[in-house]
Amino acid sequence: MAPLRFISLFVLAGVVACTGTESASPPKNAGGTLVISTPGDPDVLIPALMSSIQAGQITELVYDHLADIGDSLTIVGDRGFRPALADQWSWGADSLSIAFHIHPNARWHDGNPVRANDVKFTHAAYTDSALGSPARALLGNIDSVTVRDSSTAVFWYAKRSAQQFYDAAYTMLIMPEHVWKGTPFSEWRPSEIGKKPVGSGRFRFQRWTPKTAVEIVADTGNYRGAPKLSRVIWSISPDFNTAVTRFLSGEADIFEALRPEHMAEVAKNPALRVATFTSVDYLFAAFNLRDQTNKARPHPIFGSRDLRRALTMAVDRAAIVKSVYDTLAKPALGPMVRAFATTDGAQAQIPFDLAGAQAKLDSLGWRDGNGDGIRERNGRPLRFSLLVPGSSKARVQMAVLIQEQLRQAGARVEVEQVEFPTYAERTRKRTFDMVMGGWHTQASPGGARQSWGTAGVRAASGSNYPSYESAAFDASMDSALMELDFAKKKALFARAYDTIIQDAPAIWLAEPKAAIGYHKRLRTAPMRADAWWSHLADWWIPENERIPRDNAGPAAAVPAARPDSQKTP
Amino acid sequence: MIVAFVATISFVLIHLAPGDPFSAALENPNVTEELRDDLRRQYGLDRPLTEQFGRYAAQLAHADLGWSFSHERPVRAVLASALPNTLLLMGVALFGSFALGILVALVQVARRGSVIDRLLDGLSLVLSSMPDFWFAILALLAFTYWLPIFPVGGAVDAVMHDSMGFGGRVVDRLRHLALPAFTLTILAAAGVARFQRAALIDVLPADYIRTARLKGLTEGAILRRHALRNALLPIISLIGLAFPALLTGAVFIEKVFAWPGMGLTLVSAIGSRDYPLVIGSVIVGSIMVTVGSLIADLLYAYADPRIRGA
Repeated sequence: MAPLRFISLFVLAGVVACTGTESASPPKNAGGTLVISTPGDPDVLIPALMSSIQAGQITELVYDHLADIGDSLTIVGDRGFRPALADQWSWGADSLSIAFHIHPNARWHDGNPVRANDVKFTHAAYTDSALGSPARALLGNIDSVTVRDSSTAVFWYAKRSAQQFYDAAYTMLIMPEHVWKGTPFSEWRPSEIGKKPVGSGRFRFQRWTPKTAVEIVADTGNYRGAPKLSRVIWSISPDFNTAVTRFLSGEADIFEALRPEHMAEVAKNPALRVATFTSVDYLFAAFNLRDQTNKARPHPIFGSRDLRRALTMAVDRAAIVKSVYDTLAKPALGPMVRAFATTDGAQAQIPFDLAGAQAKLDSLGWRDGNGDGIRERNGRPLRFSLLVPGSSKARVQMAVLIQEQLRQAGARVEVEQVEFPTYAERTRKRTFDMVMGGWHTQASPGGARQSWGTAGVRAASGSNYPSYESAAFDASMDSALMELDFAKKKALFARAYDTIIQDAPAIWLAEPKAAIGYHKRLRTAPMRADAWWSHLADWWIPENERIPRDNAGPAAAVPAARPDSQKTP
Repeated sequence: MIVAFVATISFVLIHLAPGDPFSAALENPNVTEELRDDLRRQYGLDRPLTEQFGRYAAQLAHADLGWSFSHERPVRAVLASALPNTLLLMGVALFGSFALGILVALVQVARRGSVIDRLLDGLSLVLSSMPDFWFAILALLAFTYWLPIFPVGGAVDAVMHDSMGFGGRVVDRLRHLALPAFTLTILAAAGVARFQRAALIDVLPADYIRTARLKGLTEGAILRRHALRNALLPIISLIGLAFPALLTGAVFIEKVFAWPGMGLTLVSAIGSRDYPLVIGSVIVGSIMVTVGSLIADLLYAYADPRIRGA
């Protein structure tokens, strides 16, 4: 592997949940069936097009990245990355290119060898506008991909950046050119080919019965070694309660979205375990900074920074988080999560101070002149709505608590609970006063530039729905993302975060933990914050703890031995 | 005519609802507005509504129900896999609810005014007033978790089914059918029982019943042979009404029990704003209701010579 060109490397905070003594040495005999209970169907099984969590899990197990991100989620340079489809790589002298060498034994599940052309083809697919990959926006720094020889693909970059290795090695899952050849990009989504994926990962696709189940089985001759589990099945129950019950009753081995109310039930069952760990999600109640009827004008209430700060002061975030999540969340710090190494857990916040908030509102001219409990200024009452998706119980509960806390400050909040498509439509069109929002961030803190930066307000594709604009925030974020020295980088991020926290475009509410319930017969591997399934191929079930379903199915046979020439990296 | 009317109404209503098929991934920062616009263009959703309707009507005229955005398959194929499951569930529930409802009504009328009659009357009132989804969740908890005798959901065991022999597969299907069918049957039977009891009580003062009593027939024989036959006519009308009721109930029951039928398909399609699939499901549902009413009319005519002769 070529020496690193970056002066400093940094590691995101330790976010790997180790599940205690159960990660013991592997068994002699592989086998067993893992059943995951989930409330959602995958959207598509084409890596370049998928956006649902279920599709992400399945495609990441069936296909390979060029290199796997380490458990510490290092994203600067190549430190921490492990070889996957590429067994080695080398940097260009000017750091503007990286050559990836494909593992000589890598094979597609149909038996064809994986070639450098597949890498070039994959990049072409991800960046083609007719295909419309959600990941296209993340690949802007890659100028082109060329093929040096049948085993070597070279990525060429427009400029040096801290995450250019991550962009190439981890943003894309490599797809087979020979399978897709002849199918125009615009026809991929409805294509039958996409419903029977052919990958190179340690699991191969078996079947997908929409709204019912998806099954993958061990690729016993895989160049990276056969997985220890024979098969993995996503058992789909569109109703959330049914999906939980499937897990609690023992029909499934894993449920990945346990809520606080399930914890007591899980604790009562000695066969079940819970793994909790930091996630990469944060939730907030955002103020719309623009007038809904005329976006060129500031919002008649929330256009005032001082007013937003006063309302933020009136909300006891710690109490809300405790009440809704108990120990399964922490108060959010800002537009970032604690999993990022660049996040300072002691980042200064606007403190909860109801008396201070009331005094501030008084000083801003918002007073309750008629004694109805609602403050007014120039005849306008301090009354607004809070949009919340009814599908999220936690957000609805937090909205109700915010409503009550702001009532004590003299504001009347109307909680608008709507179904998710309506919520999405109104959020996108910015037709709300306040909105209960949330972001599932990437492994990089750079996502905040998209969600809270000025470009996200002005661009047609922008996702800065509250329309927060701050040149100071933008500048600090840009500098932080380009900076290669970790200490300076962290300081620049802290400055950016301080700017936005003090401007209060949102009340930063909660940073939920991931809570995964699993059966005790499973021997798990470390679970990564952004993808608990990343080491699923190394999970196993001791032979003496297997149940009938472990020995059923087409792949229940003992995995075949791999040819001697195949070695795991 | 009915299909055209239903298709038009459902097309307009679903397009009036906020959101579109590509709004689900709002909180994925990678799914940009630009990408959503591209997808809308790709599927023709950026065109004026009248143009979209014209295109859809032209498709429908060729018996083409369109393309499902959420399943990435033709709507016809999606419905073809869901419809048999719903027909099976509804068929079992229809037969079970009428058999059980009539039996309960006979018991009540035979012991009219007794504690049993009052108990069954109260129970049927409670059950027929109970929301379908709530009863379904209770049944789910009771029989899959507290007393785990039935599987939680689905039409078959997604893990074991393929490795079973023929007999095992049949048993597996029946086990999965049992709880949703039981739930739907119990709820519908409560209404049938109340209706049938009232119908039986109506015919009891009739002259032919009095004649039967004078002939020395037992109360049981009178009920079974004379009262029930005549009190069944209004029940046949109820079959026509039960079709839409069962179809509506199946929407909730199928969702709770993850039963892959029309109801589950429709609920998922509405949530994901899969316009063609919503309209297709509504059209098929309306055809089912129409056919159900037709069957009820034919049965009524068969059972009552006065109708045949009219």
